[in-house]
Amino acid sequence: MRRSRWPFVLTLAVLFFFYLPILILIVNSFNVSRFESGWQGFSLMWYKRLFHEPEIWRAAKNSLLIAAGATAVSLVIGTTAAIALHRFARSRLQRFHFGLVYTPLVVPEILMGISLLMLFVAAGVELGLLTIFLAHVTFCVSFVAMTVLARLQDFDESIVEAARDLGAGWWETTRRVLLPMLLPGLVAGGLLAFTLSIDDFVITFFVAGPGSTTLPIRVYSMIKHGSPPLINALSTILLVLTFTAVAASQRLSRSRRKGPQ
Amino acid sequence: MNGARARASLAFLASALLLGGFAAALLTHCGRGARTLHIYTWADYFKPSLVARFEKQNGCRVVIDTYDSNETMYAKIKAGARGYDLLTPTSYMVSLMDSQGMVLKLDHTLLPNLVHVDPEYLGLAIDKGMDHSVPYMIVNTVIAYLGSRVQEFEPSWAMFDRTDLRGRMTMLNDMRETIGAGLKFLGYSLNSTDKAELAAAKEVVIRWKKNIAKYENEQYKTGVASGEFLLVQGYSGDILQVQQENADVRFAVPREGTTISVDDLIIPEGAKEIGLAHAFINFLHDPEVAAENIAFLKYLCPNKDAYPLLSADLRKNPGIFMDPEVRARSEIIANLGERNALYVEIWDEIKAAK
Repeated sequence: MRRSRWPFVLTLAVLFFFYLPILILIVNSFNVSRFESGWQGFSLMWYKRLFHEPEIWRAAKNSLLIAAGATAVSLVIGTTAAIALHRFARSRLQRFHFGLVYTPLVVPEILMGISLLMLFVAAGVELGLLTIFLAHVTFCVSFVAMTVLARLQDFDESIVEAARDLGAGWWETTRRVLLPMLLPGLVAGGLLAFTLSIDDFVITFFVAGPGSTTLPIRVYSMIKHGSPPLINALSTILLVLTFTAVAASQRLSRSRRKGPQ
Repeated sequence: MNGARARASLAFLASALLLGGFAAALLTHCGRGARTLHIYTWADYFKPSLVARFEKQNGCRVVIDTYDSNETMYAKIKAGARGYDLLTPTSYMVSLMDSQGMVLKLDHTLLPNLVHVDPEYLGLAIDKGMDHSVPYMIVNTVIAYLGSRVQEFEPSWAMFDRTDLRGRMTMLNDMRETIGAGLKFLGYSLNSTDKAELAAAKEVVIRWKKNIAKYENEQYKTGVASGEFLLVQGYSGDILQVQQENADVRFAVPREGTTISVDDLIIPEGAKEIGLAHAFINFLHDPEVAAENIAFLKYLCPNKDAYPLLSADLRKNPGIFMDPEVRARSEIIANLGERNALYVEIWDEIKAAK
């Protein structure tokens, strides 16, 4: 029997639909044209200009710093929240807790941005990287908690009990049984948190203070008032970095699976 | 087993707090020592070498943060964001902010360079005495077109009545600009609040709407550069940049008059470095500095003693220097306060019109 070609064609069409905009962006980052009015010749000028824009690099540094910090902290808090939610799922307190963790996923961003800003102002916290970091942790925690919770729901409790029967202490159980089993959830949650943090605009705009412009804020302003092709060049660099990181992590997890046990 | 889990969770929590504390320490770390001037403005709005010169002269750091619209900036400052020493909103926003006590009065003894500010421009300005704001950069709304594709161009808003260009023109997606063009076309003030005048302007704009492709604030630049659009209503500074790419793009200021947009330098209530902010305003109106900034940004800094320092090309450029007669017929968009609702109502009707 001949296999149908439709799945192949459909897959190709979907991939095309997903990646064509990115491809256009990459191609345009090498375009001489400033307004993307057709191809006007190959050039690295936007990349060259990019390296002479200290403001952009300062913004990129801010974004990375906040994303890394927010990911680390929300990963820990989110995981503990997920464990609590899972273990005591039936208690009324935890059902309330679930509501609290779930809310940031559905609250409109602009509402969260304004309310966080008003909170920080009322509390007299100076706006800056710290307030952006706190705001990002606030919404990242929910995403991490939900991702890890999903993983916990397929989790076989008896494995932990078996480990304890075999004489493993709490630390050993956690480190060698619980965490490895949760790892895919942790990685997914962490990546999600990092991605959300690094491209958040609305909330960040409101809670940012003097000297803490992040990359998305800078990019929005540049679209109106600066040089859009610089953004293409910057996005291309970020894309290359992201793809390298994802490829590396996949490679790593594959080799670990094959490795000796 | 419960105890073990609890302890594991505790360890998690402890490390979270540790990490959090570490991150907080890292993030609150700010520039120490030298004084810092915090500017909140549009992207790329000061020539970088001039900022470096100011830092050197005053032994301070200048930190620039950016916003993308007057409204979001206003929402943020209004909600209580503090720490910015200098802002560059458009003048209608300045008068709104001033009416709410969000702007500091300027100390003219610290601003000797204000003598260079163009008095002809000040005649049009809202804050004529520079009591709380100093004009920084001026942009005019113009009509740009492709020279080889638009026959018999005339510098008039009547161009939007040309049916041979139907579907190949754009107007700005901005009620004050677009209704303003209709008012100017009819010979009225673009700050009119007369109901009959506004109703007449509405009819004109709806007539034009049938001819244009869409209302567009950003893509018109790409569109006219690539030939997708043949004639667009746009801002002179943007059009001058498009011209560098496509030499076929020409532009003109409509003879009926147009909108003049001005971004002002203001010091917001709650600023910390008030002295440095005054020094920076004064620095920007040094004629030599202003001339360098004009050449870099291609906008007009209304500094009359900077004009002679500009190259002949820039001096002759109609996007920067408007014909005095047309300028006399042009106006700055004023903040109309409550009567703004008149425009919103008409704009809704225009948007809904078929």
